[in-house]
Amino acid sequence: MSSKNASPYKKNVMTTKKSYAVLLLVPIVIAIGISCTKLDAKVYSVVQNANFWQTPAEIAAGVAPAYAALTAIPAGNTFEVNEVSSDEIVIPIRGADWLDNNVHSQEWLHNWPVDNQNINGAWNDVYNGIGKANFTLSVVNGLATPPSNLAAINAELKTLRDYYYFLAMDMFGNIPYVTSFNVDPSTVNNSLGRAAIYDSIVTDLVANIPLLNTNVDASTYGRVTKWMGFALLAKLYLNAQVYTTHANWTGAMAACDSIILHGPYSLLSNYFDNFAVGNSSILSNGENIFVVPMDRVNIGGNNWEMMSLHYQNNLNFGLSGSPWNGFCSTADYYTNFDTTSVYTIKGSTTYRTYLDQRSGQFLIGQQYNSPYQYPPSTNVVYKADPSTALQDLQFSIPLLFTPLVGQISNAAGSFRMAGLRSIKYFPEAGTAGGQSNDMVIFRLSDIYLMRAEADLRANGTMSGTSLGYVNLIRERAYGGDASHDWTAPQATLTNLLAERARELSWEGWRRNDLIRFEVASGTHYFSAARTPDKTQDADSHWQLFPIPKQQITANPNLVQNQGY
Amino acid sequence: MTIYRLLAKIACVAICVLFTQVLFSQKVVTGKVNDDKGNPVQGATVTPKGSKTGTSTDAQGAFSLRVPSSATALVISSVGFTTTQVDITNLTSVSVSLTTTSTSLNDVVVTGYGTARRKDVTGAVASISSKDFTQGVVTDPLQQIQGKVAGLVITQPGGDPNQNVIIRLRGQASLTGGQSPLIVLDGVPLDDPTQLSNIPPGDIASYDVLKDASAAAIYGSRAANGVIIVNTKKGSSGTMKVEYNGFVGAEQLAKEYPLLNVPEWKQASVNLLTEGGLTTDSANKIVASYDHGGNTDWLKAITRTGFVQSHSIGISGGTGHFNYRGSVNYIYQDGIVINNNKEGIGLRFNAEQKALDDKLDIQIGIVNTNYTRHYTQYGNFDYIFTTPPTYPVYNPDGTFFAYSDFDQANPVEHLTQELNQGKENFSQLYGTVNYSILPTLKVGATGSLSHFNKQTGYYAPAFPVEGTVNVGNNYNYNTDSKKGDLHLNYNNHWGLHNFGFTGVYEYNYFTDDNFYAAGQQFLVDQNQNYALQNGNSSLNQIGSYKEEFLLISFLARATYNYNNKYYATASIRRDGSSKFGVNNRWGNFPSFDVAWAISQEEFLKNVSWLSYLKIRAGYGVTGNSEAITPYNTQFILGSVGRYFDPSAANQYPQSYAPTQNANPDLKWEERHGTNVGIDFSLFNHRLSGDFNVFSDKTKNLLYNYQVPVPPFYVPTILANVGDLTNKGLELSLNAEIVKGQHFSWNAGGQITSVQTKVTSLSGSYAGYKLSTDNIPGGYAQGRGLSTNPITVLKVGYAPYTFYLPHYEGVDQNGNQLFDSAGTKVPYNNAVYRYIDPSPKFTWGFNTTLMYDNWSLTIFLRGVVGQKVFNNTALDLDFIKRLPGNNVFKDATTNGIKDAATASDLYLENASYARLDNLTLGYTFNKVNPHIQTLKVYVTGNNLFVITGYKGLDPEIQNADTNQAYIDANYGGYGFFPRPRSYTFGVTLSFQ
Repeated sequence: MSSKNASPYKKNVMTTKKSYAVLLLVPIVIAIGISCTKLDAKVYSVVQNANFWQTPAEIAAGVAPAYAALTAIPAGNTFEVNEVSSDEIVIPIRGADWLDNNVHSQEWLHNWPVDNQNINGAWNDVYNGIGKANFTLSVVNGLATPPSNLAAINAELKTLRDYYYFLAMDMFGNIPYVTSFNVDPSTVNNSLGRAAIYDSIVTDLVANIPLLNTNVDASTYGRVTKWMGFALLAKLYLNAQVYTTHANWTGAMAACDSIILHGPYSLLSNYFDNFAVGNSSILSNGENIFVVPMDRVNIGGNNWEMMSLHYQNNLNFGLSGSPWNGFCSTADYYTNFDTTSVYTIKGSTTYRTYLDQRSGQFLIGQQYNSPYQYPPSTNVVYKADPSTALQDLQFSIPLLFTPLVGQISNAAGSFRMAGLRSIKYFPEAGTAGGQSNDMVIFRLSDIYLMRAEADLRANGTMSGTSLGYVNLIRERAYGGDASHDWTAPQATLTNLLAERARELSWEGWRRNDLIRFEVASGTHYFSAARTPDKTQDADSHWQLFPIPKQQITANPNLVQNQGY
Repeated sequence: MTIYRLLAKIACVAICVLFTQVLFSQKVVTGKVNDDKGNPVQGATVTPKGSKTGTSTDAQGAFSLRVPSSATALVISSVGFTTTQVDITNLTSVSVSLTTTSTSLNDVVVTGYGTARRKDVTGAVASISSKDFTQGVVTDPLQQIQGKVAGLVITQPGGDPNQNVIIRLRGQASLTGGQSPLIVLDGVPLDDPTQLSNIPPGDIASYDVLKDASAAAIYGSRAANGVIIVNTKKGSSGTMKVEYNGFVGAEQLAKEYPLLNVPEWKQASVNLLTEGGLTTDSANKIVASYDHGGNTDWLKAITRTGFVQSHSIGISGGTGHFNYRGSVNYIYQDGIVINNNKEGIGLRFNAEQKALDDKLDIQIGIVNTNYTRHYTQYGNFDYIFTTPPTYPVYNPDGTFFAYSDFDQANPVEHLTQELNQGKENFSQLYGTVNYSILPTLKVGATGSLSHFNKQTGYYAPAFPVEGTVNVGNNYNYNTDSKKGDLHLNYNNHWGLHNFGFTGVYEYNYFTDDNFYAAGQQFLVDQNQNYALQNGNSSLNQIGSYKEEFLLISFLARATYNYNNKYYATASIRRDGSSKFGVNNRWGNFPSFDVAWAISQEEFLKNVSWLSYLKIRAGYGVTGNSEAITPYNTQFILGSVGRYFDPSAANQYPQSYAPTQNANPDLKWEERHGTNVGIDFSLFNHRLSGDFNVFSDKTKNLLYNYQVPVPPFYVPTILANVGDLTNKGLELSLNAEIVKGQHFSWNAGGQITSVQTKVTSLSGSYAGYKLSTDNIPGGYAQGRGLSTNPITVLKVGYAPYTFYLPHYEGVDQNGNQLFDSAGTKVPYNNAVYRYIDPSPKFTWGFNTTLMYDNWSLTIFLRGVVGQKVFNNTALDLDFIKRLPGNNVFKDATTNGIKDAATASDLYLENASYARLDNLTLGYTFNKVNPHIQTLKVYVTGNNLFVITGYKGLDPEIQNADTNQAYIDANYGGYGFFPRPRSYTFGVTLSFQ
C-alpha cells in the first residue's frame, strides 16, 4: 500500500528514484544468478575412472578386485552348495538353529527350489568375479599408454575368468558366457549350451597358459600362474565327460604332468601346514598351487571356525566369540577315514595320536577345557580330569561330538553335538571368524590324485608312476610310514574316491567328484539315498543347480535348466 | 465427534439469539482498544454492528466513530484477535480489551519464502502453535505435535531418548529415497531432518506443515515428503520480558515381557526334559545345574526409574526499531535402561534492527546446541531373553556374575561396563537483510552457515568368560552447509484485485565428511578410548571420507485474489543439482492452486451459522533425490578391500574398482500431487476444521533394480523406473464447546487415512528392460531365521506387505501345520499369502477443560487396522529354548515342538489407543505486578495403551525402514522399552 501522507510530487520522485534502483538491481540479480549456476562438485574419497590406471601400482590395484571376488568362493555360498549337496557336509537343523527358511536342508535333501538363496548367492559370487575380470580387461586394453606387462595381465585375468566360468558351468550348466565388458545387456542369454561353453573355456585357457608366469614366489603368491592354468585345465579335462559326454582322460593326465614334472611343488611333511594360520609364509616349494589369501585384519572371508564349531568350542580354541554349531560330517562319510590311533597317558590325561594325520581334522568325542594343540592329529586330549570336561551350556550335557546325524532336524539337546566338526583350517585364537588361514583351491595332492584317476580310467589299470604319486600322499599321511602304501590291486576307482574324501575333505570338490564318478560308472554316488533323511533322486536333473529365479528376473532371456 | 459438534451448535445458536436488531439515529463513540496485556492495538477495525463502514484505531489504540444512535454495539476486529462486540447502549466512551484470536483464520502462516494469513492460504497447510503442544516429558521437538496434525505421522521408535522420531507425511513417497519431510528452521532448511532433535523444544513457537504437493512445491527438489516449517520464538519491542519454563519428571517401564519366573521356568524345564525321555531325577539334576541362586527379572535388572529435567530461560525485549530474544536451555534425560542418557545445553539468540524509516530490516540469528549422549547397544537386549531367571546379576562378593554362550551374556554387566557415548554440536548462523524500495516492493538477501558435528566413542573391556578382547574406537562426523538466497517480494492491489509476486535465487553447498580410528588389545582399561594408539598396532584401523554436492534454484510465485473471495497461486521452481548427470541436472517443479472463499459471497453472508468456508484445489510437483549419492551418476572407482602382495613393501595394498553401475541418466523422483480440500468455521468460529482428499503419484521411482552381471558390473542399478501412489483423506476438527467466564471446554481431533501402493517396478533404462517384483524387504530375526524374508515389495501392494504361510495349529507331535488350499500341510508345502500391515487410519483427540485457574488437558492418539509381526514372540514362544534360555509364558501352552517358523500366527492386530498425555495445570492470579504468568502443571505421559497386541508396545517403526512392521528384539534390531512418565512443570514470566 502506498503511504497516505506523502505528497503526489514527493511520491513521484521517490518512485522514479526507486525505479532506477530496481532497474539496477535486476541485472545484478541476474548476473549473480547466472554466474552461480555451475554445478560441479569435487570428488574427494573416490577417484574418477579416467584419472586412475596411471601407474603400474594403480594398475595392480585395479587388477586385484578380480581376485578379491575369490574370497567368497572357498568358504561361501559356492562352497556350501557344492559340499552340502554331496555326502561330505550336512547342516542339520538343531532346535531353532539353522532352519533358515530350509535353505541348508534343501541342499542336503536335493529338493531345492529355484529361488534357494544360497544357490543364487553362489551364482552372484561367481559372476561377480567374471564381471570384475571383464571390466578390468576392458579398461587396461583401452588405455592410451598400455602398461608394459599388458600381455601378462591379459593372460592372468583371462585365466582367472576361465576359473570362474568353470565354476559357473560346473554348477549351472547352461550359463550366459560374456567375455566383453561392452555388451548390450539385452543380447545376453544362455542358449550356447554347456558343451560349447566348455569348449570356449578350454580354448581360452589353452591359448593363455603359455603366456602365464612360471615363477612361484612372493611375486605370484595368490595369483594365477602357469601351474594354476594347468590345474584348471586338468579339472576341465577330467570332467569333460560330464560336460560334453566325451571323456578326455589323456588330456587330464597331460595337464597334471605339466605341473608334476615342471612345477616347483612338493608335498609338505605335515598335512595341516597347508591350511594352518601362517600358511601364507609357504611362498615356494610347497604344495599349494592356488590359494585365496586371508587375513584377520585385512582380508575377511574365512569363517571356517565359526561355521562348524559348537558354541562352547570357543573355550578350547580361544576364540573371542561363540561359534555357530552348523557344518558337520556324518558317520557314513567318516567311514572313509582310518581312525587307528596311538594313545599315551600322562598323569590323568590320555592323549590320542592318529596314524593317518588326516583323521585329526575332525573333532570327535568329549571336549576338554584346555587349549587344543596344533597339529590336531597328534596328542589330542582324549580323556582328562572330568572336572575339565566341557558342557553344552544350554542343556548342561557333556560337549561330546558323535558322528551319527540321525535326522535332518531334531530339537533334542544331544543333537547339538551330532556330527563331526572340521578344524582342518585350524582356528585362530583371538578371532571370531575372519581367520588368517589362506584358503586352498588347487594343490599338488589333488593333481596327483587326478592324474591317478585319469590314468586308471584311460588305461584300465593304474601305472606305477601314478601309483607312486598316490603313495606319496599316503606316506605323508602316515608320517612317512610306507606300510600303508597301496599295492597295484588296491588302486581301484572306489579306493581313489575314498582317498579323495580323506585327502581333499571339505575343499569344495566333493559334488564335482561324485557327479563325475556317477556319470562315468552309472553308480548312484551323487543321487544316492543318504543318512539323514535323504532319499535317492528320482532323476538326474539335480546334477545341475537351477538358473536362480532371481537371475531370470534380472534377465528374462535366461532359460531354466531341464527338470526345474 | 458428533456429540461435540452438536453441543457446539447448541451453544452457538444460544449466543446468536442474544443479538438484537439495529435501530436508527446518530451519536459519537470514542474509545481505546488494548490487547489482553494492556498494550494498545493499532489498526483495529471498529464498525457499528450491522454496518459496513467504520474506522480504525491509531497508534495509541484510540478511535472516534459516528454511529447511528440506535446502534447497540460496536464490532471490533483486528488480525490476530478475536472479533469482539461491545455494548454501547447509553455509552459514548468504551474501553475494549481484545483477546488473542482462538480461530486460526487470521494467524500468519509461513508458506515458504513468505507468509500469508491462514484464510488466504490456498494449499493444504496445517499450523500448530505452542498452546497446543504436548507437555510432559518432551525432549525432542516433534514430540510436541505427535498425533496432532492430520496427515503427519510421527513415531517414537521406542523409549530411547537418543533415538530420533520417525516422521512420515502423507505416506511413503519413495522406496529408496529419504522419507522424512524437509524441515525448515526459521527459513533455513536443515541439512538433515534429524538435526531438529538438537533444537530445544521450549524455543519453538509454532510449526507450519505444508502437506500437499502444491504447497510443498515451493521447496522443489527436496519437498517430495512435504515440508515442516519450524518457527522459533522471537522478541517484540516493549518491556524486557523474562520467561522460565521447566519441568522435572520420572520415567518408568510401562510394560513387561511375559517371561517365565523362577518356579515357572523350573517346572517348564523339567517337563520338557522328562518329555524328552529323561527321568524326573536326571531332569531335576540338569535343571538344578542352572540354579546359580538367582531370582532375576532381567528386564527389570536392566531398567530403572529415569529422571528427566528441563529448564529454559528466555529473555526478550526491544525498543522502537530494535528487538531481540535470547535463550538458554538445559535438558537432562535418563533412558529407563541403565547407563543411557542425554544431556543438552543450547543457546539461541536472534535480533531484528529496522532503520532508514523502517525500510531496512536486518535480522540475525545464532543457534548453538551441545548434546552429550550415552547410547545403548541394542544387541544387549537379547540377553534378557537368553538368560535363565535363576542366574543372579552379581556374585555374593559384588562382582558381576559372568557367563557366556551363543548370544548369551550378562546384560547388566555389558550395559554397565561398555562406554558408548556421543557428543553433538549443532550451530547455525543466519542473517537476512530486506529493503523496501517501494512500499510495494521489497528486495533482500539471506545467508546461513550450518555446522553439525558428532563424535562417538566406544570402549568395551575384555569380558573374561566370553573370551573377548578389549576394543575401542572414535568416530567423528561433520555435516556442513553454506546457503544463501536473493529474494524479491512485490505486493499491490488495484481496487479489489490483490496481487503478489515472489522471486528467489538460491545457492546451497553441502559437505559431509567423517573419520574414525579403532584399536584393540589395550593393556590398561582405564584409558578407555582415549589412548587408542596404545593397543596392538597391527590391529589398528583408520578411515576417512568426504563428499560434497550443490543445489541451485530459481523460484517464482505469483498470488492473486479478488476481494478475498477468489484466490489463485502459481509457482514454479527450477532446481539444479550436481548429483545428476549433465543431461538431467535441472528439473522444474510447478504448482497451481485455486481457492474460493464461498462464505464471502453475498448469498452466504447472512447464513448466521457459517462463519467461514473455503474450497481449495491444487496440483503440484515435488522431487526427491535423497536416494542418489553425490557421485551416483559418475564412473568412479572406490576402495574395495585390501589384497595380499607379499613381494611389496606394503603387503596389503588397497584395491580399486567401481562400487556401482554408474547411471548417468539418473534424475529426480517426482511426486505429482492433487489435493482438494475445504476449510470451514461454523457457529461464530466455535467449530472449525478442514478436510482434505489427496491423490499423489510418485513417478520415476528410484529403486535398485536387478541386472545381470556381466555385462553390468554389480547386480543392481539405481534407476528411475517405477511408480508408486499415495491416496488419502484427512479431517481435522476443533470445537469450542463451552466458552464461559469460569468454565470453558474445547475439543479437537484429527483422522488420517493414507494408502500407499507400488504400482510399477518395471520400465527401461537406456533401452534395456528393467523389471523387479516380489523382492524381499524385511527379514525375520532370530536363531534359525537368517535368510528368512517375511515382507516383500510387490507390485499392486503396499510396500512391506507380508508374505507368510497361514498357521493351522500343530499335529500330534507338535509339528506346525500350515494351509495349502484348505488342507493342513507341513511348512515345506505351505502356500504363502500377501497381507498388507499398513494402518487403515491414524487418529488423535485432545480436549481441554478450564475452570477458573485450573486447566485439564487430555490427549489420546491411536492407530486402527495396523498389523505388526511379533518377531519376539516367534523367538520366545518356543519351548525348546529351555533350559538354557528363557521363554514367554505362551511357549508352555502353544504346543509347538518343532523349530520356530515365521507364519501369520505372529502377525498380530496392532491397533491401539494411547493416553498420550494428561495434564492438570493451575495458573496463579497476578501475585506481583512484575509477574505476568505463573503456571504450574503435572503431566502423565503414556498412562495407558488399549491394544490387543501382545508385544511390549504396538507403536513400532524401525529406523531401518526395511524392517517396517517387524517387532524384533534380536541381533541388534530392537526396541528400547517405552516408559510411562510423570512430570511437574512450571511456566513463569515476568517483566
